Amino acid sequence: MSDIALALRNATKLYAGVPAIEAVDFELHRGEIHALVGENGAGKSTLTKVMAGVVALTSGTMQVNGRDAAPRTPLEARHLGIAMVFQENSLVPTMTVAQNLFLGQERFYNRLRGIYIAAQQFLQSLNFDVTPTATVGMLGAAKKQMVEIARAVLHDAKVIIFDEPTATLTPEEKKYFFDLVRDLKRRGVSIVFISHALEEALDLADRITILRDGKHVVTDDAVNFDRARIIQAMVGRDLSNTLYGARKNSVRPAGARVLTVQNLKMAPMVKNNSLSVFAGQITGVFGLVGAGRTETFKIVAGVLKRDFFHGGEVILHDRPVRYLVPAPAVRDGIAYITEDRKVEGFFETMSVARNIYLGLLAKMPGGRFLLSPREADQLGKSWVEKLRVRVTGNAMKVVELSGGNQQKVVIAKSLVQDPDLIIFDEPTRGVDVGAIVEIHDLIQSLADQGKAVVVISSYLPEVMALSDRILVARQGKVVEEFSALEATEEKIMYAAVH
Amino acid sequence: MIAALKQFADRFLGRGEATITVPSFDGALKPNQILEQAETVATFEAPEDLAACGGALYIADGPLLRRLVGDSATLVRRFDRPITALCGLPDGGLAVALDGHEVQLLLKPSASGPALSFTDSSLNAVNALAPGPQGTLLATDGSTARPTRHWVRDLMERGRTGRVWQLDIARHRVSLIADGLHYAFGVAAFGDELLVSESWRHRLIAIAQDGRRRAVLDHLPVYPSRLQPAEAGGFWLTAFTARTQLVEFVLREAAYRRRMMKEIDPEFWIAPKLRSGFSFLEPMQGAHIKTMGVIKPWAPPRSYGLIIRLDDRGVPLYALHSRVDGVNHGIVAAVELDGALYALAKGPGRLLRLPLAAIEQELRA
Repeated sequence: MSDIALALRNATKLYAGVPAIEAVDFELHRGEIHALVGENGAGKSTLTKVMAGVVALTSGTMQVNGRDAAPRTPLEARHLGIAMVFQENSLVPTMTVAQNLFLGQERFYNRLRGIYIAAQQFLQSLNFDVTPTATVGMLGAAKKQMVEIARAVLHDAKVIIFDEPTATLTPEEKKYFFDLVRDLKRRGVSIVFISHALEEALDLADRITILRDGKHVVTDDAVNFDRARIIQAMVGRDLSNTLYGARKNSVRPAGARVLTVQNLKMAPMVKNNSLSVFAGQITGVFGLVGAGRTETFKIVAGVLKRDFFHGGEVILHDRPVRYLVPAPAVRDGIAYITEDRKVEGFFETMSVARNIYLGLLAKMPGGRFLLSPREADQLGKSWVEKLRVRVTGNAMKVVELSGGNQQKVVIAKSLVQDPDLIIFDEPTRGVDVGAIVEIHDLIQSLADQGKAVVVISSYLPEVMALSDRILVARQGKVVEEFSALEATEEKIMYAAVH
Repeated sequence: MIAALKQFADRFLGRGEATITVPSFDGALKPNQILEQAETVATFEAPEDLAACGGALYIADGPLLRRLVGDSATLVRRFDRPITALCGLPDGGLAVALDGHEVQLLLKPSASGPALSFTDSSLNAVNALAPGPQGTLLATDGSTARPTRHWVRDLMERGRTGRVWQLDIARHRVSLIADGLHYAFGVAAFGDELLVSESWRHRLIAIAQDGRRRAVLDHLPVYPSRLQPAEAGGFWLTAFTARTQLVEFVLREAAYRRRMMKEIDPEFWIAPKLRSGFSFLEPMQGAHIKTMGVIKPWAPPRSYGLIIRLDDRGVPLYALHSRVDGVNHGIVAAVELDGALYALAKGPGRLLRLPLAAIEQELRA
């Protein structure tokens, strides 16, 4: 039997005549962990979707265990022993964890109790703390990801493809995940994983393949790579000094206090949380999943409501405010840039310009009776230029953009409102390194202009690179504050965990 | 009627005026233990205020005026009443408030008698003095109802009778600048305006010449007190204790407060204190519990020590703390002299000294 579990030769996939991948050669060895790295739009997702039978190649060939194969559906791919854990959740939210795990493997008569017991044992064997009877829709992002991974393992796949598997996992969960992947490798399973966290690729992978603009750039053993070489291969230029660069040796002084949160409560996520945000500074907020960071700032922005009884106080510019919906918060100068851009950030079938125009309309009381397509186009054009959104035209739909460019549209949609307080929630999640640098520059420039900026991030190097002061949240409230000058990863993580 | 209904709803839901919340010590107010670790220069029986005058440091200690010589305090003179405020004047003189009712001007600290005395019957609780514009003297008067020593009672009665006076030395005249303040305690010239501490509202306000008021620093987590100009520009603001949710709650409950004031020894009221931890009868808040005999530094404070460094716009730059587990609490005065910051911790009766250069380097880096 060949040592190659899966191979693609001269693989090309065209979307409306535009190549997403072009003449790509790829080999996956048996029992290896292979990282697929590249900027957004580099073709990683398309390449893996071809392997998983989600899309078919326009030209080129695919071989599984040395035999030609062309799976046309995920089910056909699963029969070939290939499973994919998608970045976007593919679970049925109204079913329980156990039902999702065994979906597609039902027998004529299924005893629910038997399914739950089997699921419980299986999840425990993976060290995943997920209740099998829980409804998937009620789970957090990290737990949903765990169920996705467990399902792939359960299907006894010989090739498992993970698309951004660790984006929503906490550091402890990541450790479990890495152990699991190494265990799968020992069992002879071949792993392909896509990750924007380059340390993960360097740490976990045996080999790394880098794609750029739909083309294969390089494949080599992971030991032959370092961070700088990967980034250079990904973007074609050296960004290592600009991305999460050297330690800060100065921080911006705090301006006037813009936001004060006092004893805020929203059971069970936010527990008596108090913090302040100052003008002309970037306040980084770090915490593990479930620390109540996002919920706190969603309450500030009127997306969520605090507890009805004795729910605490939000003070904006020395004035107590309580927003029941986001519109008045937007009018008062608060912009919340969501972590879940696909669900909350934009209307994907509308054009870039229209999306940005909607941001402006949101600030106007009662909206506007007559809309101006011309104004929308002009506004869209100016913001596309300002934020360097890569579009082919003003009418291009947001769904057609890469993750980084979509994120820029979400940011533009908020900045067009000229806010005083800008809350970025996971601003670079699922964004390629080139766009990360541009988004970071933008965030820095907003603070330089005197705006109060909040950056919520689960990625420590990002928090440390951006913030002037760092708040650490744990179990629903801020438990520690660091100046960027004194903060270290160890100190922050210790505060977040203990 | 509508206001009464709204008040009832607010009390029921814990919102508006009935919100029992306290701001956190963060940003420039981030806690440290610098004040707790400060050198103790001397201790006094009843220290009240500090003043730098002619290159020397003067301490008001009950009715005694003392001068710091080296590391010991020598008696300069004795008054017939306790000193409630002290202030060095630009011409080398000293202004002294006696029992809150009288302000005396001394040409020099050791002068045998006052050069000028203001004994306006309106003066009741003068607690801070500062040089004003055009050779005048500014004074804050905490309350018309209670003397300075009964400041806790004024808080519990939700007093709002604080005033700011201007004492015209040339014309020997007292004029009212502002009244209706929630315990005025500390004043300083602030450009064309006056910067005034309003303790019970936890804020600093600027009062313009035409009487208009604006908040300069609001929603403080402490009870602000005296202000002293810093040599490098800006101010030193002292805070004699910190806010807690328990006290905020008691301040909301009028009937409870009345009964507490009637039946309980003031020492054990649920109220801010300048020192604590001396009796098991003292009220404590949820987390303010000793574990293995140690109070957690982040527990809700019954007493606290804090000095805030403000820039010339009144924006906090950094703060010096003595936290719940410390003893240097009840800071009522801070004065800069010879590259050091002297602070008066009224709780333990200590005069503290802090090296300014080292603090600046540590906290402004």
